[in-house]
Amino acid sequence: MVVTQKREEKHLVLTLEGRLDTTTAPQLEEVLKSSLGGVTHLTLDLAKLVYVSSAGLRVILGAQKQMSKLDGMVVKNVNETVMDVFEVTGFKEILTLE
Amino acid sequence: MRKTFQKWLFLFVVVAFIVTFCISFSIESRQAKGNAVGLIRLKMEDARKQIVVNRENIATVRSIVDAAALAKARAFAKIVALQPSVLKRGEELEDIRRRLDVDELHVSDERGILIADIPAEYIGYDMAASEQSAEFLAALHDPNFALVQEPRRKGISGEMFQYAGVARTGTPGIVQIGYHPKRLQAAVEVADIANLSAGFRIGKSGKIIVGEAGKIVSIDNPAFLGKSLKEYGFSDKQLRRGESEFVANLQGVRYLCLSSSYEGYKLIGILPLSEMYVGRNEMGLFLVVCNLILFAVVFALVSVLVQRVVIDGIYSVNRSLERITQGDLNERVEVKTNNEFVALSEGINSTVTALKEAIAEAAARIDAELEVARAIQRSSLPGVFSSFPGRDEFDVYATMGTAKEVGGDFYDFFLIGENRLAVVIADVSGKGIPASLFMMTTKTLLQNLTEAGASPERVFSEANKYLCENNEIGMFVTAFMGILELDTGRFTYVNAGHNPPLFRKAGGRYSWLKSPPGFVLGGMEGTRYRERELLFQAGDRLFLYTDGVTEALNLREELFSDLRLEETLNADVAREMDVTTLLKHVQGEIDRFTDGADQADDITMLGLEYKGKVKG
Repeated sequence: MVVTQKREEKHLVLTLEGRLDTTTAPQLEEVLKSSLGGVTHLTLDLAKLVYVSSAGLRVILGAQKQMSKLDGMVVKNVNETVMDVFEVTGFKEILTLE
Repeated sequence: MRKTFQKWLFLFVVVAFIVTFCISFSIESRQAKGNAVGLIRLKMEDARKQIVVNRENIATVRSIVDAAALAKARAFAKIVALQPSVLKRGEELEDIRRRLDVDELHVSDERGILIADIPAEYIGYDMAASEQSAEFLAALHDPNFALVQEPRRKGISGEMFQYAGVARTGTPGIVQIGYHPKRLQAAVEVADIANLSAGFRIGKSGKIIVGEAGKIVSIDNPAFLGKSLKEYGFSDKQLRRGESEFVANLQGVRYLCLSSSYEGYKLIGILPLSEMYVGRNEMGLFLVVCNLILFAVVFALVSVLVQRVVIDGIYSVNRSLERITQGDLNERVEVKTNNEFVALSEGINSTVTALKEAIAEAAARIDAELEVARAIQRSSLPGVFSSFPGRDEFDVYATMGTAKEVGGDFYDFFLIGENRLAVVIADVSGKGIPASLFMMTTKTLLQNLTEAGASPERVFSEANKYLCENNEIGMFVTAFMGILELDTGRFTYVNAGHNPPLFRKAGGRYSWLKSPPGFVLGGMEGTRYRERELLFQAGDRLFLYTDGVTEALNLREELFSDLRLEETLNADVAREMDVTTLLKHVQGEIDRFTDGADQADDITMLGLEYKGKVKG
């Protein structure tokens, strides 16, 4: 998986490309850990994310929880496969999707 | 590091160079001075000896000249005694003077009055008239009288002239001869102290100066003859010095000087400092050149050697260490340029080997622990499927194929009282020991709450609350649970973010039991779960599974997918299978699909068939 960061002042945009599963989730977790300082608004661009597993969901949920205390988190460009997962797991209900 | 080393090496070499140069320069200086002092001393000694020799020479010449003069005087006296007539004949007297090779002849009578003379103008001169001639008057009374006078300067020319005289033989009177003592004069001139300086040279341009009563009496430059030593450049203090050397500035040149006193003379030997240090300076230059070459060679050699022997080795070791740090424990350090590196290499290699062994050991232990964890997990699931003997209302079967790691899937089924059967399937996010602990907690919670009689939605709400409270690592679990009333076939179920199960009416086809799910357990506090109902009739079946089934990958990285699962379940071959066989069949299809690809996730399935209320 490739994580691309784009920072605009307090707004961080992360573009995820590839599979977000048990092996790659720690990578995203690390990026979030090191890049969220001073960030109040987070956007996850999942246009090129082909798969998300429960380990990936865990990291997304963690980010959602952390950002909900600030200006929130937006998940955009969710494709059908990932959306299915979000639907089945109920994530669709708790995430701000665009 | 190389630069630092070279900097220090260069500094060291420069310091060594300077120190060596200073030491040799100082030694050379001292030696040069010692040599110069020795040279001056030697020359002064020679000069002193020369003075002595000169004096002895003069004394010898004098005694020879005196003896010859007396002999001539006596011979003349004898002639006068034998032939008194010569006194009257001037020609004969002149002849005698010539033969005696003298300049003057004088003969006096018994009163000391000259009666015969050459030159003739002295006839009648009274010997008592001058102090010089008076010295001979004693001859009038002493027939054995003989006297050779000191030579004196005479006339305007200042030439030396000397008189010798004896008593007349047979009659009182004086016989005297006068002559120029040429040999004596020559000897005296040679021995003149003024010539001393010219005879001695110290080194190339050193010399000896002779002073007498503060005046220069001998020096190479006639302009300074008769001038005072002070005028020449010596100070009073220097002139009062004993025999030790000193440095004086004479006529603009600095000299090393050594003075000594001898017989009223002051001999001063001087040697220009520049000359004294010629040898030292040449040696110094030679040393500088040699040392520069030597130190340059040493610097270059040490530099190259250190580069080869130490620095390259260190770089090599560092490269290896970097690879080791990056996790390549098979890397070996092989620097063999010298013993120290061999020791270092071996030390590192054995450390890495030990580390590797320790890691392998730890890995083996972790593997063993994981195996234990897996066993515990497995043993916590209902495994014996004949655990409901005598219950013919239902048939339940479940399988779980764990992936390499300890996973977080679990299934469960248990009776609540006599009439109700609970089925659970769940999938914890993540893997490993934390996931498996979380799974155990969840499983226990769900069972306890359910057995306490709570409705499915209440069970999930309570479990969610508990899991959220004790969830620092942000784990969650997707779960599906249903409770089947065995007498009525009423099935109450609730879904927390889990894959929807497939349901088949007796004789029909499997289709997804889709309903909007609640959020995952442990994900968000206060999540509400809504239970739904379904009525089972005899022969109806429910198929529960985790995403390990639909997301099983083959070697082409294709998913087994919902579609394939549905097709497999609805295939004709599966239609008449009982639950146990069906699950094994699905597993077989999955295995056929993945074709040896690594299993990434647990594959868990649970099948339930309602057989209807037992009659009677």
